[in-house]
Order: sequence, then C-alpha cells, then structure tokens
Amino acid sequence: MKRRVLESTASLKETMVGYYLELGSAAAAKSAPVAWCTSTGPVEILRALGYKVHFPENHSSMLGAARTANDYMTRAHARGYSQDICSYLTADIGAFLAGETPFSAFGLEEVPKPDVLVFNTNQCRDVRDWYEFYGRTWDVPVIGIESMHMIENVTDIQVDAIASQMEDLVPPLEEIAGTRLTSDNFSEIIALSKECVDLWKSCMEMAAHKPSPVTFFDSTIHMGPVVTMRGIPAANEYYRLFLSELQKRVDDGVAAVEGERFRLYWEGMPIWGKLRELSELFAALSTTVVASTYCNSWIFDALDAADPFRSMARASLELFIVRSDTPKESYIERMVREFSVDGIVFHDSRTCPSNSNCRYGMPERLREQLDIPVITIEGDQIDLRCYSSEQTKTSLEGFIEQLEDRGRPGEGVGD
Amino acid sequence: MTESNRVVAAVDVGTECVKAVVMEKDVGIRGRAIVPTRGYFQHRVEEAMDQALDEAKITRSDIEAIAATGFAAECVPDAVSVTGETTCHALGAFHHHPRAMSVIDIGGSDPKVVRIDHSGHVLDTRLVRRCAIGIGTFLMFTARHLDVHPTQLQELAAEAERAAPIGSYCSVFSQVEILEQLRDGTNREDIALGTMQSVAERIYEIGGLREPVVVSGGVAEYFPGVLKSLSELTGFHVEAVPEPIMTGALGAALRVL
Repeated sequence: MKRRVLESTASLKETMVGYYLELGSAAAAKSAPVAWCTSTGPVEILRALGYKVHFPENHSSMLGAARTANDYMTRAHARGYSQDICSYLTADIGAFLAGETPFSAFGLEEVPKPDVLVFNTNQCRDVRDWYEFYGRTWDVPVIGIESMHMIENVTDIQVDAIASQMEDLVPPLEEIAGTRLTSDNFSEIIALSKECVDLWKSCMEMAAHKPSPVTFFDSTIHMGPVVTMRGIPAANEYYRLFLSELQKRVDDGVAAVEGERFRLYWEGMPIWGKLRELSELFAALSTTVVASTYCNSWIFDALDAADPFRSMARASLELFIVRSDTPKESYIERMVREFSVDGIVFHDSRTCPSNSNCRYGMPERLREQLDIPVITIEGDQIDLRCYSSEQTKTSLEGFIEQLEDRGRPGEGVGD
Repeated sequence: MTESNRVVAAVDVGTECVKAVVMEKDVGIRGRAIVPTRGYFQHRVEEAMDQALDEAKITRSDIEAIAATGFAAECVPDAVSVTGETTCHALGAFHHHPRAMSVIDIGGSDPKVVRIDHSGHVLDTRLVRRCAIGIGTFLMFTARHLDVHPTQLQELAAEAERAAPIGSYCSVFSQVEILEQLRDGTNREDIALGTMQSVAERIYEIGGLREPVVVSGGVAEYFPGVLKSLSELTGFHVEAVPEPIMTGALGAALRVL
C-alpha cells in the first residue's frame, strides 16, 4: 500500500522559504527588530509591534527531520546540558556552537540574532533554560510568561494572571522595538492569527472522513505555517489551498493511505528523523494515523480580536499540555470518537516529559475506559540515540495484528 | 491447505538462536533445529533448515510452504509468510494450551506480554521498556561470568542463601552489577538468584499479566529459574509451554499449515 503525496507540498515549501527569507533579510538589513519566541508563546504581541519572529523549536525540528541533530548535541552536553533534558534545546545550542544551521539552504548565513527572547513556560521549563543560554551569550533580554500547569478547569483568576503577565511584556517590547502597540494593530493580528488556527483546525478535521485524506505524518510537515506564521496573511492563504486539496480528496474518495483498514491516534511528539520510515511502515500496514495531540496543539480556539490579552491568555491555558490528566483524557476520548479511532499510540519521548502522557497511568486508564487497544513506543522527538527502529517496528506490527484480531469472531472475550 | 499430508517449514530468526521446524498437518512437528546466532543470519537460517529437514528425513522439495518470524525474518529466503513475533508466540502457545491466558515471550531481545482470549485472538500486547531489552543476552552473559552452562544457572540459584541485589532496569548496568558482585566476592549462587529475580521484576513491570500465565521463548527453555522467580513475585502459577524455545517457529508454521 502506498502513501500519496499532497500536491500543496510545493506551495508549502514556497510559503516557508518566503518566511525564512523575510526573517533573514530583515535581520541582515536591521530593518525590523527580531524576536525569538516559543511555539505557543505570545507571538501576536510581537507581530503587532513589527517584530520578525524566529521559533527555535521549528529550527530544532528541522535538525531532527534532517537527522543532523545528533551531530550537534554532544557539543551542548560538553557544556553541561544533560542528555536527559530537552533534545530540542541541546541540538539547537549544539548547532549554534558548531556554527551551522539548516537555514543555510535558504541562503541565510546564520540563525538571525535576537533583540529579545520571549518564552511561555506553558510547555515546559526547558524553553526558558534554552533562551537564557542565548540571553547570556549575547546579553539580550529574556522575558516571558511563567505559566501554571496541571490545570483542571481554566478559571478567570488564572486567565487574569496570565493576561497581566502578557500586558507587562508590552513596555519592554515596545522599548526594544521603538514603537507603540496600538489596539488596531493588535486586533488585526489576533484576527489573522485566529483565522489561521481556524483554517488549520478545518484541515485537521478533514481526517475525520473515511478514508482519511491526510495522515499525522503529512500534518507534521504542513503545520509549519501555523507554528511560525500566525498573524501573517500568507499562512492563511496557504491553508486555504491545503484545505481545498483535502476537501477535493474527500469529494473524490481519495485516501492518504490506500486501502485504509485501521485508524490510529498519535499521542506525543513526532519522531522527526523517522517520519518517512514510520509513515511507510503504517502505510504498509494499511493504517492511517488520523489525529494527534501534537498537530492539534496549534488550534487556539479562544483567540478573540475583541479581547486580545485575555483571549490570548485563555488560549495559552486551554492547551492540552497545560492541563491535568482528567481534561486530557476527556480530550482524547472525544478525538477517538470524532475520528473513528481504532487504537492509540503513545510516544514516550525520552527528553520531553511534558509531551509524554504515558508516564502516569493514562494508557491503562484509556484502555479500560474506552475499551480500545493502546501501545506505547519509546523514542524521542529528535535524539535518535533513544530510538530503536527494530523495537518500534516489532511493537507496531504486533499492535496492528492485535487490531486485526479484534475484528474476528470471538473477539474481546477475555479471561 | 487442507490436505492431511501437507508439510511446511518455519524459521524463527532470533538474536540468540535461529529455530527451525518442519511440520506435517495432522501429524505435528517432524523435525526441529536450534542453531546459535552468529555471523550472517542467512547462513544460520540455511543451517537450521538443513538440520530440521534431516531430522524429518525429507528434502526441500517436499516442503510446500516456508514461513518466517523473528528479529531477522527477512533473512529467510522463499518465505511465503512473514508474521510478527507477537502473533506467532500467541499461536504457538495457544496450540499447546487452547484457552484465554497471558503469554510471556522471553527471548534474546524483546520480552513481551501477550494476552489472548479463549479463541486465541490477541487482546493486548506490551513490550518491555527500552532499557531492559536484551534479557536473554543478559542471562547468557551472566552464565558465562558465573562460569556455568546456561541451563545450570537455576541449579546454582537453588543453592543461594539470599539473592544478591541486581537492581538496575538497564541490561548493561545489570551486567556491570554482576561484575561488581564477583569482584566483591559475593557467592556465585546468590548472584545467580539475584539475576533471576531481576529478570522477573523486569517482566512483571511490563504489566498486563493475568492468570493463567505461560512462558515461551529461549529463556523459558534454558533459564527456568526466571519462571520460579516470576511466580514468587506475582503469586501466579507460571508454567512454560512445551518446547518453549520453538513456540515462535511453531506459530509461524501454523500460519501456513
């Protein structure tokens, strides 16, 4: 069974290259201030102030996808950054120490240096540690939002607290940018950002169709604009194109995986250096990974141009990664139902505990509550020292055989 | 595939041993071979096949289908069926014990727990965590350093006064712990028992075990002390399937018989 390549991939490349070139040329000509921002950070404030924004997580995922991350990590380890902390951090700092970047493919000599680094610890503490390395290296300010975690229900008190922190970022960001934040500008960027995430959400929802027109492995690539270009019209233009291609596939009954037999949910980080290998393995098993926590993490439903700070704050707190296990499990349960999921794959990412939801009994609970097969595979988002192709293949093949068995007479009659 | 005299072969190409069976419908296993894994897998596959055919007193042309499973299943030429280890061990164990049960396959590399229902269908599969893979290989290492044949490790353990602590869940760290114990003069018997208990803990931690429990794979064949330790740890009756090392090959053969 073969994988089908999406035609809009060519436009995706153009869109992303355009973004990198604009970032690089602005930094080189010093025509705009440059900020580095975490992927679920307050990018809308930065864009409204005219910053060109770089996302180090995007850079690290590129190192992972190119399978060069492991060439660099040892340099960071030698500086005292452990093998057990975020491999995005160690690969990115290692690449910096080596003086290399995948951006060179787009003609950029280096990753544009920041005037300010802006974090939101809603993802993890590592993003702040990561930025502080560069803050110390270049003596540039590191500012951001210190988020609460393990949130059961998002309350107004929590939203107000985060909104206040966001508002407090404005004066220093204005000073560095040499401009003022206007409400018109800010609302316009929020509106663009909301349109972008809504389009992305519509694209992701296309996978609810049977057969699915898109796989998780496609989406990890096509999510580039929603991660890096929220608030930029070109991102929205791209997703209109992507959505139309997916809609056409649905209308024509075209499957992303020919002969789709099983549909899975992927919980956890992608394994960037093994996207193709895993995609081909699942395709060979006539199985589509239709939905994932990860790709849905850039759907910020709460964004509202009429209430910029509080809606950004709420969006940052409603994210899966910031929540306690009860709302996380409810979310997965809804995904399983809406996407007609036959089984759940948990990726236990060695260096990303915040995105590894299999460590506190969740797979066992979901297996029981949803009566659905679950499997945990061990790996890492980019550190391939933590990943065994053979062990993963054995696990996943066994898992699919188990799904096959469930469809046979006598299924489910346990001991 | 209903002829009563249909004869098939299957090879389970593992990391420690290559196992081959020749099987005839309505008769059962007619030939079997176990060859230690070394060098290129293809050569050991040939060797194991030849030995199994010799025992069955037939030639290759009498074989109607060849099946493969195991770590290097793709190294079996002319296999018409390549099946995952989980399914093969479930099939092989169910052939001997047709009932709902937990099957633990402990081979050279990836121990796994497979729960099957009363029809032999797989309900749940779980693998040992990454750090603990290579349990069979770890036991072979232990036997070598305790200077006993693998099958005698249990006899050694039976003489232990108290188990030496072998606590790491990493197979390589555990090997170092054994060397440290030897360096410090710990009784070999106590180390042997500590090793069995350590492996039992790694298996128990996989989770998903429910009675009845049977064990397949090379560890059950050569290191039955692990089953005893597992039984003591879980409180479950734990028994080996007949000819446990051949279970995967048997399951693969049943797929094409």
